[in-house]
Amino acid sequence: MKPAIHVRDLTKVFKVPERDAGLKAATLSLFKRKYKEVRAVDSIAFDIQPGEVVGFLGPNGAGKTTTLKMLAGLLYPTSGELDVLGYLPEKRQKDFLRQITLVMGQRSQLNWDIPAIDSFELNRAIYSIPRKQYEETRDELIELMLLGDLINKPVRNLSLGERMKVEAVGALLHRPQVLFLDEPTIGLDVTMQRRIRRFIQEYNARYNATVLLTSHYMADVQALCKRVIVIHHGKLLYDGGLAGLVERFSAMKTLSVTFSDMNGHAPDFSTFGTVISQEPNRVSLRVGKAETPNVTARMLADLPVTDLTVEDPPIEEVIEHVFEQPKEDDEKKETA
Amino acid sequence: MLRGLKLFGLFARISTLNEMQYRANFFIQLLQSFISLGTGLAVLAVVFSYTDNLHGWSGGELLAVMGVHILMGGIMRTVIQPNMGRLMEDVQEGTLDYALTKPEDSQVMVSVRQFAIWAVVDVLMGIIVLVWALVSIGNRTTLASALLFVVAMFLGAVMIYCVFLMFTTLAFWFVRVWELMEMFQSLYQAGRWPVGIYPDWLRAGLTYLIPVAFAVTVPAEALTGRLTPQTILIAAAFTLVLMWVSRAVWKYGLRHYTSASS
Repeated sequence: MKPAIHVRDLTKVFKVPERDAGLKAATLSLFKRKYKEVRAVDSIAFDIQPGEVVGFLGPNGAGKTTTLKMLAGLLYPTSGELDVLGYLPEKRQKDFLRQITLVMGQRSQLNWDIPAIDSFELNRAIYSIPRKQYEETRDELIELMLLGDLINKPVRNLSLGERMKVEAVGALLHRPQVLFLDEPTIGLDVTMQRRIRRFIQEYNARYNATVLLTSHYMADVQALCKRVIVIHHGKLLYDGGLAGLVERFSAMKTLSVTFSDMNGHAPDFSTFGTVISQEPNRVSLRVGKAETPNVTARMLADLPVTDLTVEDPPIEEVIEHVFEQPKEDDEKKETA
Repeated sequence: MLRGLKLFGLFARISTLNEMQYRANFFIQLLQSFISLGTGLAVLAVVFSYTDNLHGWSGGELLAVMGVHILMGGIMRTVIQPNMGRLMEDVQEGTLDYALTKPEDSQVMVSVRQFAIWAVVDVLMGIIVLVWALVSIGNRTTLASALLFVVAMFLGAVMIYCVFLMFTTLAFWFVRVWELMEMFQSLYQAGRWPVGIYPDWLRAGLTYLIPVAFAVTVPAEALTGRLTPQTILIAAAFTLVLMWVSRAVWKYGLRHYTSASS
């Protein structure tokens, strides 16, 4: 099958004006500016199949938004190959734009003065959606998101969560095949995050749409994405399953052990690994991945173990670990 | 073009329906229009207490110029300025990305989204002043000159739009260009008088830099029988040039925006 999104050697270099602190430098920079080149995205490559939901991870300034914007045709790549649904995004052909959508959690696209239903109507006209199809999709999405009569209130009067729900519906009225979601759940409470997630899942299932999503909430990624792409300092660090990410970047396992009564003669657990927590008959240890079989065997042999589990550390910790990786080159400064 | 008009109609309808809820704005606008009409009339009265002719224009004819000035100002504030203001906000806040991911020509998209219904008060006020002026002159407007007037108004409005768009496009580089828009407004004020009364350098500026001459003086000339075929042809040609140049500037600005913003 032809991939929905095809990216090869994609690079984006920004020229950023640079000046020293102080009034004098500021005045001089009005006339003569020094520029510095910033490599925001550095020859990344990936393919995404139709219907896939992929999480795009990276710390602030890793190049996620820049990549998303290039895919949506909002930024010209400096170099590289790019293909979304068979189109070159930067040309911004109407047939291409009709099949994609962009949602930025931090930026609203609805007119705040008018009720959402009016903004929906405008989108119908802009996308030339046939009346019948529009009404079907609209009602279906409204039901899916449990919007109720929120659509009749001026957007200004909605809470952040309500507004995001309405934004999401408005962005999908034209039944796009590719969704670019930049932090769609940012600032929302847990219930609302879950609702948005469910909505994305449902939409993906119904229309077999391809979704590329960035988020700081690992829960979003865990719930939605089988596959993640991690970029850091503009470079692709990892592309694959979530489990594989943990496998690859986490050198540690967490061991939780419960004992039958030890009569107060608890051994020194630090000989087994790093103690995370300890109670009279329970202990949690952090152990190197390679030593895990060894340590487990020793414990089972030497101690009255009643229960033992080996777990991967929480995904947040793994991601944090990934992002702590130093960059290779000092020139490559971060941009958002 | 037709699609653009259709979209504009829809945006205008929805924003009008909504704006109708805020009637206070209507009265504020009405008050503003009356104050500016009052000061305009007072200044005219002062001028004509000293002379009965300004560079070949009589009092009644100058009133007609004022009428056209108010009318064109109303058109500007109803459809042109609100869209350009929104465009600038979008550049500042990064929401322009949404307009650019719509399957519509980007220039059309940013030019049809806003409609300030209450500024229509100025359009009506301008028409009233104009009719009053024509009646007081005893002008027998022919169908031909009325048609010519409409054509001149249309060309003038398009020119104002083009120049306004070019000014606003500067926001792609400087982000904050409110000051430039202010400047545009104050230069437009100079159009209250026929540009013939100004020194050559200023007249040239008001003709080709900020096309106030074409937008106000030329339509007024059409009504007062001063318009030569030559002038209207130049106006038409200049409109085409401005449309072409402003589109090129817009495309260039957009190209800059999409390669530099992050």
